[in-house]
Amino acid sequence: MTNIHAFGRTYTPKQMILRIISHVILLFGALTMLMPFIWMLSTSFKSLGEVFVFPPTMFGERIVWENYTKISSRFDYFRYFMNSIKVSVWVVAFQLFTSAMAGFAFSRLQFRFREQIFLLYLATMMVPIHVTIIPNFIQMTFYGVVNTLWSLMIPPMVSAFGTFLMRQFFLTVPRELDEAAKIDGCTPFGIFIRILLPMAGSTIATLAIFCFMNTWNDYFTPLIYISEQRQYTLPLGLAGMKGSYSTDWPVLMAATSLSILPVLVAFLLAQDAFVKGIMLSGMKD
Amino acid sequence: MKRTKLTKALVACLAAAMAVSVAGCGGGGGQQSSAPAADNNAPAADNAPAADNNAPAADNKGGDVTISFMGWEASPLETDAVKNGISIFESENPGVKVSYTPSLSGAEYTAKLLSTVAGDSTPDVMFMQSTDYRMFASRGVLTEVTDKFSEEFSLDDFVDSARQIMEIDGHVFGIQSCIVTPVLYYNKDIFDAAGIPYPSASEAMQWEDFRQLCIKLTTDDVYGCYGQEVVSTSLNAFLQSNGAAMYTDDMNTCTVNSPEAIEVLNAIRDLRIVDNAAPDATTLENIGMSANQMLQTGRVAMLIDGSWALQELASIGFPVDMAPIPYFKTPTNIAQAHLHCISARSPHQDESWEFLKFLSGMNYQGALVKSGLWMPNRISMYEDAAVNEWFDPAVHGSYKQMLGYFKDAKVQVSALQKSSQCSDILTEETDKFFKDGQATEATVENLQTRINEVLERLASEG
Amino acid sequence: MANAVAAPAKSKKRSKLQNDTGWAVLMLGPNLLGFLLFMLGPVVATLFLSFTEYDLIAPLKFIGLQNYIEMFQDEIVGQTLLNTFIYTILTVPVGMCLSLILAVLLDQDLAIRRFYRAVYFLPSITSMVAVAVVWQWIYNPEFGLLNYVFSVVGLPQMKWLSSSSTSLISIAIVGIWKSLGYNMLLFLSGLQGISTTYYEASELDGANKLQQFWYVTVPMLRPTIFFVFVMSIISSFQVFDSVMLMTKGGPGRSSSVLVHYLYQNAFQYFRMGYACAIAYLLFAVVLIITLCNMRFEKKMRDIY
Repeated sequence: MTNIHAFGRTYTPKQMILRIISHVILLFGALTMLMPFIWMLSTSFKSLGEVFVFPPTMFGERIVWENYTKISSRFDYFRYFMNSIKVSVWVVAFQLFTSAMAGFAFSRLQFRFREQIFLLYLATMMVPIHVTIIPNFIQMTFYGVVNTLWSLMIPPMVSAFGTFLMRQFFLTVPRELDEAAKIDGCTPFGIFIRILLPMAGSTIATLAIFCFMNTWNDYFTPLIYISEQRQYTLPLGLAGMKGSYSTDWPVLMAATSLSILPVLVAFLLAQDAFVKGIMLSGMKD
Repeated sequence: MKRTKLTKALVACLAAAMAVSVAGCGGGGGQQSSAPAADNNAPAADNAPAADNNAPAADNKGGDVTISFMGWEASPLETDAVKNGISIFESENPGVKVSYTPSLSGAEYTAKLLSTVAGDSTPDVMFMQSTDYRMFASRGVLTEVTDKFSEEFSLDDFVDSARQIMEIDGHVFGIQSCIVTPVLYYNKDIFDAAGIPYPSASEAMQWEDFRQLCIKLTTDDVYGCYGQEVVSTSLNAFLQSNGAAMYTDDMNTCTVNSPEAIEVLNAIRDLRIVDNAAPDATTLENIGMSANQMLQTGRVAMLIDGSWALQELASIGFPVDMAPIPYFKTPTNIAQAHLHCISARSPHQDESWEFLKFLSGMNYQGALVKSGLWMPNRISMYEDAAVNEWFDPAVHGSYKQMLGYFKDAKVQVSALQKSSQCSDILTEETDKFFKDGQATEATVENLQTRINEVLERLASEG
Repeated sequence: MANAVAAPAKSKKRSKLQNDTGWAVLMLGPNLLGFLLFMLGPVVATLFLSFTEYDLIAPLKFIGLQNYIEMFQDEIVGQTLLNTFIYTILTVPVGMCLSLILAVLLDQDLAIRRFYRAVYFLPSITSMVAVAVVWQWIYNPEFGLLNYVFSVVGLPQMKWLSSSSTSLISIAIVGIWKSLGYNMLLFLSGLQGISTTYYEASELDGANKLQQFWYVTVPMLRPTIFFVFVMSIISSFQVFDSVMLMTKGGPGRSSSVLVHYLYQNAFQYFRMGYACAIAYLLFAVVLIITLCNMRFEKKMRDIY
């Protein structure tokens, strides 16, 4: 058997074939995953006439930048973007804060009905958001915040999932650490801030990424709460655009490309954090 | 109104009560933990009314009044028109500002409006789809304008269809914006190429003539007509022209299960599947074009669409003209359009009424009529002198011979229905009929049964 | 989840009984308040509302079980529930198999592995609104990319979203495409937790790659498979965005799902009470399926 040298390593022919097959499948899959994005970009630079042709072409005659300038009057990109940022940053910050503290309480503090309360948290993790949306909507109307960003920011400040995730992490930290600190005169809050929180970096990152993705891409909640264009988040703004430009595909695709851009940049900058975060969330026990 | 607030408070408090009670038992010692929880709750609840009161107060600052105005964006052209109108109004009424919010359109608009009502943030003035008008009016959401209205306008000056929509048992809760009706558009080039005379603008075609015309116009590249299967536009006109009725006069019972209705549905479908003179029922979704683009690019020779399409068609610039839609036994046209209404909770009733009047005047309605988007809803606007003011030959083509067609149109009955669920059922079942080949008999039977179930439920709810 | 509940029982035993109630109020308080106000409270309030007739405007009226009685006679509820089941059956098995295969392929020391990982994960970070716009255009029967590909390969032209026979499948394809990368990453993390010694041992026993997959990978990956399975089912029962954005439930009711009907009733037909009853139906279905899954998983665990 002759071995094959490639990429500074040595493979048996069998290994090599397996690798090539893997690459072929993965490349084909990658193309399938990417195609819609490429198609979106290419359409966004075509003229309307070039869109209605069969067979479809990848590139138009020339690059039609006007599609991007045309949307500015209808698609208040900067405002929607700022709204999305506002809501996401607020929700992530508060969810991390409340989840970490509650996770600590559930894992370290002794108080009555602790297990019962935690069981309630666990039970609601399965409840679809659609079950709670109507009373929450009524509640928000009662506080007078419907149709403001507050209605998107207040309810998700607390998350059962986040609390669960943080508690699970704190349970893995050996108690000997905080007992030593306790002897040094640390209060429970001090133990939380000085000892446990600094160790929870990766769990916090996981929760932050999850929470950010969910909030940033949320369509259902703004659809229910927000009616004024000024308060639109990016997904709702795009959905509104879709209604009034239903057949102007190039302009619609230009808006879509722009709406994807921020989260795409964030992802490319922090790919490893994203990936690690997602992978961590799947690990139980 | 008071009880409504109470209801909301009840539900909100239910959630809050849960918080207090469970926090109470969760905290071991009990007292220690429930106290801060309760404290946190109280200010939250107190803040709500305070925040409500602030809103109008802020508006009054500096003597300026700002009216909030909500509508939808059906097309960018329409929003531009609204914004133009607003700037004219603002220059005519110093001290009054209008802040316009285009919201989502269609069924989502209903949802948005409902949520503003529930959230106590109803805009002062709003677009109201005719299909929702009765639902919102009956719930006390809209200001009754009957008295103000009769001082300035005469209901008798409004065309029949407009009057029937606006008036609910002698009460008026808003002014209809205009009327829109189905129109038969045709591409003159295709008629010229085929050597076929144009359809008459003054006299509608009988269905059989229309069918023969479609067959003659159909070639390998061109279909005769598109749009007769779009039920929201024209189905009711066809039904009425054949003596079939969707509802009884009191709108309490659906009566669509009749031989006349079956005849109409069969005829419309057969134009496509037997004569092959109409494109597929899902054409619009299939090609991702608008109906206007299909007519413009010569994929169809004729198009049945709402009269609003004229604004865009006239601006594209190709030889298009109009005729009445075909009929079965008697020529029939139907009309409806959205209304402009004032919120019952608006603190600026007078300013809002001024704005409502403006929206019905020459500077707003008139401008949109001139552009071809709307047709007038007042009889006086159809008199010769008035017509000369808005009629633009470059836009309106053969409309001069069709004035009676618009003026005498019957009301589109779906505008009088009691719940938008009825029109959703109509869409669903006719979808199954046109797109899935559901049998005609089953279609009308399902329609009648399902709509009557809804109506019965509504009646029992009172 | 079973493990999570079991864990605190252990800790109770070991620590001396101290009382941190004050600190617990301080640290758990804000969270608990929000939890009760926005999660547990509403869950109870929805149950309460489901026994009423309420349109958000007029005062609510108690009508007892009437909403539930109507719900069980409502054909649309049956149809949307069936569509929801079909959607789940279309997306979960296919999506899981594909993402597992991808994860296994990626779990080797390949060149440009990072690139693959990023590309597969890309749809998961994209909002459903953007995805819906793009896919609607891809699905366009006349000028769309997909039918072009089909015509090149010699497959029949389809109407995708605009035909009632394919609308739900089309939405399911988008669902699979969007969640593939996320599930793949979860599997990948599971795979990396399997010690290589198992593979080495099986290799010594003469197992080939396929045998290794069946006899080492799958059993070792069982907890992850179970986790992904449960999460996928729960999320596919809640599908709404893609339906609302691409077909609005049509043509007819062919792609309408339970949540879509819930939304229509609540915010378009002014029937909050009825919508709440539907919400509880959804909740019940999700709960039953999850409990069944857990029982099944427990049985599997006992066998192994």
